[in-house]
Amino acid sequence: MESKWFRRIGSAVLLISVIITAFPFWVMFSVSLQTMQEIYSHELNLWPSFQWGNYAEAMTNGPWGRYILNSLYVTAGSTLISLFINAMTGYVFARMQFPWKRTLLVLVLIGMMIPTQVTLVPLFILVKNLPLVGGNNILGMGGTGLVDTYAGLMLPFIAGSFGVFMCRQFYIMFPKELDEAAKIDGCSRFGTFCRIYLPLSKALLASLGVLKFIGAWNEYTWPLVITNTGSGRITTVQLALTAFRNEGEIFWNLMMAATLVSTGIVLVVFVCLQKYFVAGILAGSVKE
Amino acid sequence: MLVPFFLFFACFVLYPILRSVLDSFTNYDLIKKEFVGLDNYFRLFRDKTFVRSVQNTLVYAACSIVPLMALGLIAAVLVNRQTKIMYAARAVLMYPYVTSMVAVSMVWMYMYDPNNGIFNKLLLAVGLDPQKFLYDPDQALWCLIVMNIWKYLGYVMIIYLAGLQGVPKDLYEAAGIDGAGSWRQLWSITLPSVRPVSYFLMTTLCVECFKTFDQVRLMTNGGPVNATTTITYQIYMRAFSEFKMGYASAMSVVLLLIVLVITLVNLKLGHQLDDERGGN
Repeated sequence: MESKWFRRIGSAVLLISVIITAFPFWVMFSVSLQTMQEIYSHELNLWPSFQWGNYAEAMTNGPWGRYILNSLYVTAGSTLISLFINAMTGYVFARMQFPWKRTLLVLVLIGMMIPTQVTLVPLFILVKNLPLVGGNNILGMGGTGLVDTYAGLMLPFIAGSFGVFMCRQFYIMFPKELDEAAKIDGCSRFGTFCRIYLPLSKALLASLGVLKFIGAWNEYTWPLVITNTGSGRITTVQLALTAFRNEGEIFWNLMMAATLVSTGIVLVVFVCLQKYFVAGILAGSVKE
Repeated sequence: MLVPFFLFFACFVLYPILRSVLDSFTNYDLIKKEFVGLDNYFRLFRDKTFVRSVQNTLVYAACSIVPLMALGLIAAVLVNRQTKIMYAARAVLMYPYVTSMVAVSMVWMYMYDPNNGIFNKLLLAVGLDPQKFLYDPDQALWCLIVMNIWKYLGYVMIIYLAGLQGVPKDLYEAAGIDGAGSWRQLWSITLPSVRPVSYFLMTTLCVECFKTFDQVRLMTNGGPVNATTTITYQIYMRAFSEFKMGYASAMSVVLLLIVLVITLVNLKLGHQLDDERGGN
């Protein structure tokens, strides 16, 4: 008896929480398809009136095609480079012996804990004063460095301590015979990694990749800082979204349309790779 | 093979941390840089806005984390069944976590809007007084907290769910045979077994709350009258609108120390727990 009631109450609570969770997304959807008159009225109206023109108008508010390509380019680029470097470093930590190994691994772990906000200021100065790029001389003076460039946007996302740790945990469970067999066949360490380990790590790379992709796509602070002084040439989707807020009169319907487009891309990635995404966040949490 | 990673790591993680600490002893403003000793730190303690931002961040963290852990655990218990509907429910609950803070801020900004927002329309529809939400110094921080709980609930749920699935099923069966009801099972088996996961979550959520910036910058700009300003927002303002890089670095170091202390305390507590269990 008790168990039955327990379940019923449980289902009701769950249903309510799902509705509450979904509610803002429904608001986003319905408001994106309403007229401003409907939004200005004091009547509660949660139904869309299917003003599809709002989407066309929102997407021509700025060069949205360019914003989306910018975001895709930066996200995909930094994710791919960082995946390769993380996996390689994880492999080395899992399989090779070298001096200072423990110290370096501890450094990686410390790097995992430090929030990027702590290093925001020096990171900006560093990217601005990088020698020999963007009009800088050898001392990093005179120009703007990598401020307002794609490279400047991507660089800080590439290191990724968490990825190294995750790859190490994954590779450490591989049988050592793999390496020995490869060595006998005359394969170098790098060759072993590229030809044997990488092809076997599809699940790992999918998990880590989807985490990195969503993280980089959603990033706001770093793009804000690094494109601050520039022309808006490398504006990402997240930055472009905020432009709807800066106008005197806020067109909520256009803002919601653009928001829906920006989250739609993440939704597709999330729904397709949900299994890997969950595996990815769990890899960082459960020790055993 | 280690070179690429450590090159990036040294340049973009280690060096900036070191630089933060060094710059915090100077009055660096992008033009001049002079050593000023501990001046920045003394000024921090007298800076009312900064003290307010630390207070806000602490309230924000505490009032987000406690409900999040409780609700997240309840949600995890509820979705802990292997059916299609449960998988769908999990996906929905997870979706706010995957959505960018910018998108989330935009929607909630609309919902909180005093003139056209959904919440005031709802309040009017049921005959209550409209509220000012983000424009009211007493309400603004709470509005951000509610939004934060909404965003992270799915994350807490999924981590707890993994913890729950690690509990052997026989334990529940044995308890059921011994006549323990659902409540009793929840209290005596489920709760103790998710304690290690709870420490992990506490650390992660704390760090996450201390990083709070996007929504503050987008929804309130720290206002009204500094009611929602946070440490990270202060760092951003000092560094990128006033160019007081030295002063902002001192704030960063304070933030770094807070995060380190939280992590170490939680690690220590987690270990103590393991030791106790080992002793018994």
